[in-house]
Amino acid sequence: MANPLDIPVVVDALSKTFKVPVREAGLGQSVMSLFKREFRDVEAVKEIRFTLDTGEIVGFLGPNGAGKTTTIKMLTGLLFPTAGTARVLGHEPWRREKELLRRIALVMGQRNNLAWDLPAVDSFELNKAIYGIPEDVFQKRKGEYIEILDVADIATKPIRNLSLGERMKMEIVAALLHGPEVLFLDEPTIGLDVTMQRRLRQFILDYNAQNGATVLLTSHYMADVSAMVSRVVVIDHGSILYDGPLAGLSDRFSAHKTIRVEATDLPEDLGQLGRVLERNPARASIEVRREDVSTVAGHLLAVATVTDLAIEETPLEDVIDRVFTSESGGSDDTQN
Amino acid sequence: MRYYRAGMRIGFQREIQYRVRAFLMLFGFMIEPTIYLVVWTSVADAQGGEIAGLTTGTLAAYYIVWTLVRVYNLAYAPDAWEWRIREGRLNEFLSQPIHPFHRDFTFFAGAKFVWTLAWIPVAVFLTLIFDPVFDWAVINVVGFVIALWGGFIVRFLMLYALGMINFWTTRGSAIFGIFIASELVLSGRLVPLELMPHWISDIAAWLPFKWTFQFPIDTFIGRLSPQEIVSGIGFQAFWSIVLALVFVLVWNRAIRRYGAVGN
Amino acid sequence: MSRPAGPIHLARLHFKLGTLNELQYRVNFWVQLLNSALNLATGLIAIAVVYNQTDSLGGWTSGQLLAVLGVHVLIGGFLKTFVVPNMWSLIRDVQEGTLDYTLTRPVDSQLIVSIRQINIWSLIDVALGVGVVAWAVTDIQADPSAGDLIAFFVALLCGAAIVYAIWLTAVTIAFKAVDIGDLMQILNGVYEAGRWPVTIYPLWLRGSLTVVIPLAFAITVPAEIISERIEGWWLVAALGVAFAALAVSRLIWKWGIRNYSGASA
Repeated sequence: MANPLDIPVVVDALSKTFKVPVREAGLGQSVMSLFKREFRDVEAVKEIRFTLDTGEIVGFLGPNGAGKTTTIKMLTGLLFPTAGTARVLGHEPWRREKELLRRIALVMGQRNNLAWDLPAVDSFELNKAIYGIPEDVFQKRKGEYIEILDVADIATKPIRNLSLGERMKMEIVAALLHGPEVLFLDEPTIGLDVTMQRRLRQFILDYNAQNGATVLLTSHYMADVSAMVSRVVVIDHGSILYDGPLAGLSDRFSAHKTIRVEATDLPEDLGQLGRVLERNPARASIEVRREDVSTVAGHLLAVATVTDLAIEETPLEDVIDRVFTSESGGSDDTQN
Repeated sequence: MRYYRAGMRIGFQREIQYRVRAFLMLFGFMIEPTIYLVVWTSVADAQGGEIAGLTTGTLAAYYIVWTLVRVYNLAYAPDAWEWRIREGRLNEFLSQPIHPFHRDFTFFAGAKFVWTLAWIPVAVFLTLIFDPVFDWAVINVVGFVIALWGGFIVRFLMLYALGMINFWTTRGSAIFGIFIASELVLSGRLVPLELMPHWISDIAAWLPFKWTFQFPIDTFIGRLSPQEIVSGIGFQAFWSIVLALVFVLVWNRAIRRYGAVGN
Repeated sequence: MSRPAGPIHLARLHFKLGTLNELQYRVNFWVQLLNSALNLATGLIAIAVVYNQTDSLGGWTSGQLLAVLGVHVLIGGFLKTFVVPNMWSLIRDVQEGTLDYTLTRPVDSQLIVSIRQINIWSLIDVALGVGVVAWAVTDIQADPSAGDLIAFFVALLCGAAIVYAIWLTAVTIAFKAVDIGDLMQILNGVYEAGRWPVTIYPLWLRGSLTVVIPLAFAITVPAEIISERIEGWWLVAALGVAFAALAVSRLIWKWGIRNYSGASA
């Protein structure tokens, strides 16, 4: 067990409750609201706890409104928690101490940090001054990153003239120039095309490998998660549902597996064996309960001339999807 | 048109959410006329209580009603078109079965009701502070209501047509600046046109500006005879038609250009 | 790691980058010149109309009023060059949730939001303002000594500090409360009140503009100094007000940041 002071991110019983005004419906109520406003409490984050070790890349998964962004905001000092504690590199984030801020970075997808009218290189200069990056280190990193991401020709164009993908590349470069030890990425690849997403993911992975930086990443994209993270924290309605390796996610949440079978003479009524996901004359995918896997597989092998049979985990997207659509989340649900 | 009822209701509901903003806006609008009033009253006092036939009481009345007319003058700003085009919002509007004019117009029209409500405390406050003299008559009030909306229609069409410039240039704000400066002087907003040198008030007679601003005010405070009120409304109608025609002509050209050039 | 830049260095860097960038768009110079000229013209027209009817406005001659107009345009130029662009950026940041970035930088947030933008073309207004003040001085036939000029300059600095504090305070308070695009219009309206000397206003307005929103110290006082209407100790008062205003705006800024919670939860 590492010395607690060395753990980059520690979260304990962290909670955040917002007061939200109640929206009026109808004309009469609108006028009444001139005089009296009503509020209700929204618990965005409820007593969550987790830690991040040095060099870990952790994915923070959850549907919209689950509390992911609220948690990241508390960890970057943008929100005060209502209860509980959190420490990043030994500091309480909401004190916003300069020593801490110089060692972390925040990148939010589709939200620009870099100055809109200036070329990226100018913003880099500003970062150099703000973070106190020594000139030689600055030039080396800048040159390196620009080359890796292949952005030399657009680095001198104003940010507003760049496409979303190009902008995100610049944002990430700017964020890493000062060599942060903890990186908070809030949906960094949202809205980008597949190639761009891969480029950025690789870049972050390389940075993590070279510098041992700790990364907390939120995303909707399974590809982000499976490509980058070693560990997943699933959050929904403000509570953590799961905290562990990615592979364990299926085990925990999915009571099903998928059997893919290829045969030309498959029986008609496959629906009796399980939920049919796909059905061609020569191929079918059936979702069956874990306990029924061997029975169903055996049955298929018996009644058809099977050329290929595969037993797969439920795709992660479906797992996540089901987790978030079930109330308590987690246990076996047999929706058909 | 059924849309108008719905559109105005939405405008009203949207605007009332920002109630604080409505109050603040009215409060802000109070400052400009107060300044003018104080200045002109000061001048009038020095001249023995009246200038160019306007007593201090009339001036006070003028500038109090000024605040309401100012609110009714608010329309869709010409620069907003530049934003709309640039952000691609125009595409959304163009793919709807309703001309954006109706959307914008009804939104502002609905909002007027909220702003009128917010104006009432301001009017009370100003009436207590200054000593306005009104010439009450039913015809004045009725005429005022018509003139108020007439002024809104004229100004809305004016600014809407002006906004079309943004389809041809991104420097529309420069032209808009000239427009606003001229309007300030020629509409009766800075000061009743009677106080201006003759050549200015002569020019103003030929332009639509005074029908959006000074005319409604004069109607309410009782400076116009019934015939003048009616003919004034006629002028508003005239300018509305002219500006509407101008707009329609320019709009078709603008859309064609937009379709050719794109964002 | 070398030391991060101090505030002055950062400010200079931002101004340099912003200016160099903006200089590419030379059309804006002409656009601004046009607008500034129009603005000045309406101000002069107003004064002309007034003095068409009378010789003295509440004890102010036309030349003295010209001085007020000059200072108003000058300080207005300062606002439009250094303050207003930053306020718009701040407003946009709040609306789009990107203020978060500003708050995660290892630099004082008030510093960042106050220096990152500049609109150099509005310096035209500053130049015009100086011109009008000079005209006013010759019109009054005042003969300012070196001491008077220094006092005037210091008074202008106080004025600049005061209007900056007012604008920042207003925008900060409005973070969550109001659709703050309108706020800038309101502030502009309030600023217009400074076009005339506050001594001609009724007590309640004069009081508000001296104590609550001290435009009186920002505009009327420097104008009075240069037109030799008041004594030097007013300068001390102006300095006091400037410091108080800056302190208040700082407090309000810190309070505003504490209350801020981003556009989306």
